Amino acid sequence: MSDRIEGVKKLFTSKSARVETNKGESYYLDLFEKCQTRLSELRASQPANRLDFSGLLNDNGIDRRDFMKWVSATTAMLMLPPMFSPLVAEAAELMNRAPVIWLELQDCAGNSEALLRSDGPKIDEIVLDIISLEYHETLQAASGFQAEKQLDEAIETFKGKFLLFVEGSIPMGMHGQYGTIGASGETFHDHLMRVSKDAAAVIAVGACATFGGIPAAAPNPTGAVGVMDVVKGKPLVNIPACPANPVNMVGVVMHYVLTGTLPELDSLLRPKFAFGYRIHDNCERRAHFDAGEYVEEWGDEGAKNNFCLYKMGCKGPMTFNNCSIVRYNEAVNWPIGVGRGCIGCSEPDFWDKYAYERPMANAKIKAPTGGVEKTVDEFGLGLLTAASIGIGIHAIASAVGGKKDDGGEA
Amino acid sequence: MSSEYKQVKRMTTTGRIIHWANAISMVVAIITGLYIGHPYYQTFIADGAVDKYVMAWNRWGHFIVAIIFDVTSVVIAYLFFFSRFEKAYKKVIPTGKNIAEFIEVVINLATLNKRKKFDSTHSDSFNSVYFLIFHLLLAWMLLTGLQLYVSGLESGLSSIGKWWPWMLHISTDWTRVVCGGTIMDVRIVHHYTMWYIITWVVFHIYYQVWRTIFWKEADIAIVFGGSKFVKEK
Repeated sequence: MSDRIEGVKKLFTSKSARVETNKGESYYLDLFEKCQTRLSELRASQPANRLDFSGLLNDNGIDRRDFMKWVSATTAMLMLPPMFSPLVAEAAELMNRAPVIWLELQDCAGNSEALLRSDGPKIDEIVLDIISLEYHETLQAASGFQAEKQLDEAIETFKGKFLLFVEGSIPMGMHGQYGTIGASGETFHDHLMRVSKDAAAVIAVGACATFGGIPAAAPNPTGAVGVMDVVKGKPLVNIPACPANPVNMVGVVMHYVLTGTLPELDSLLRPKFAFGYRIHDNCERRAHFDAGEYVEEWGDEGAKNNFCLYKMGCKGPMTFNNCSIVRYNEAVNWPIGVGRGCIGCSEPDFWDKYAYERPMANAKIKAPTGGVEKTVDEFGLGLLTAASIGIGIHAIASAVGGKKDDGGEA
Repeated sequence: MSSEYKQVKRMTTTGRIIHWANAISMVVAIITGLYIGHPYYQTFIADGAVDKYVMAWNRWGHFIVAIIFDVTSVVIAYLFFFSRFEKAYKKVIPTGKNIAEFIEVVINLATLNKRKKFDSTHSDSFNSVYFLIFHLLLAWMLLTGLQLYVSGLESGLSSIGKWWPWMLHISTDWTRVVCGGTIMDVRIVHHYTMWYIITWVVFHIYYQVWRTIFWKEADIAIVFGGSKFVKEK
């Protein structure tokens, strides 16, 4: 209960969820100068690795024109005016000045996979390749004491400067013993607290790191929580979704490299540039929703005609994310594009409350009190039946044994 | 035993207009709301999409009746305290007199009108409390409904200005926390509340008809003509 009261207080004092897309000319001119200063400082600084961005682009067969298209798109995604494009291009080249430590906690490594397993790396992935990844538990060659030493060195060298990416939830049950890491058997919780202490900012990626995700689904055996539940007093960004879209990771890092600050966040600490609107608001099938044209079952005429998937359980109307605009894998496709509904993977408690792939009216939703599964309608109809039976009994009893206040004749 | 009936005014014209506006709005809200939650009839696939706007019309109807509910609720809330005809709040304050009357009305219902020891010429405290419950349910419906509605206005703009979505956020964001943390919880609670309201209505209609039959004071006429008829002692 005290949690909820805290939550209410926070809601009333937080800025409204409103997305400000135009902040006025003087604001942007000011920001432009700040970014220029910041970028020249970065350029003067020592790069953390010797990877050459334009060389990498060439090696992967991406020409200047493709790169500039990507720059325009990224500038627009960050809700910056076109005059920022040259700065965004420059920032992409300077990404190797941003030291990053990546922690892997209780999850499936899906967010790392999302970065690595594209058929051919696109610009977003290349940008993330050249960030100075000082320590990544899943990718690095080192292990055991060697890995720990590497982490300690990275923390020492970039104290207060590195960005800490966290993937996976933090098990709090059994004193955190559900997840330990390293040769000393440090719990995930202690590990996270130790590393986050010296981070410039913490970026939680994926549903698990942000809101607990699937590990935190009922009955949550490991007591899993998200990063924001344990890390306090640090700048924190949540990039939810399962997996988090690399585009949005790039967006946040790009914003940091460009301005030295984190992007504007909503009340769930998600960047507004990505999570300011619902899937539904920009969905390519939205017109079918309004027209009342729905897929009734898989493979029917509606499905063949790309009708709305609302009746197949699409949760786009309740899910804030930019999938319907930026899609996945450099805009190749996305869930609704391939003909299946959204499961709301970027919302809190998504596994319990969104991902049942049926419309809410057909879903066996677990009651908040736990235990019995029942649907709202069954409960409502039951309540109505009970009331009707009560009324019926009263009516019959009244008719049989009631006293009518007679006017003398009855 | 002959007796004269005297006419007792119980509802003003305004009150009756609001009552029926609410009743019709509620029926429309339920029909359209169930469709929005789960579209239960299909459109003709042969028709071109340009000729259909079924979900949009359902949502339009749902929001329009919601606004009628909103506005009449504001009027009712005002009349609850300041009506020149009958200040209903006086009947829901738990004074000894009101509690005694409340219990007597319940006994009257439970004993099937074998015992009737209260003055039925004016609105009794049982009915007043019962109506208050309805308006609280309705207010809850409005707050959760507007929270769901404002999700579509995240640009911060609306046809009537920026203040509207801003105000909706300020006044309804807390419902999300109270319902369980996500929009989906708000949606489920909004749906549950519909069932509570339907159940409320079922008993309300039954009870008014029952009173008419057993008290023989033409209570059902109140909502049409504004008056009932009580035997003169």
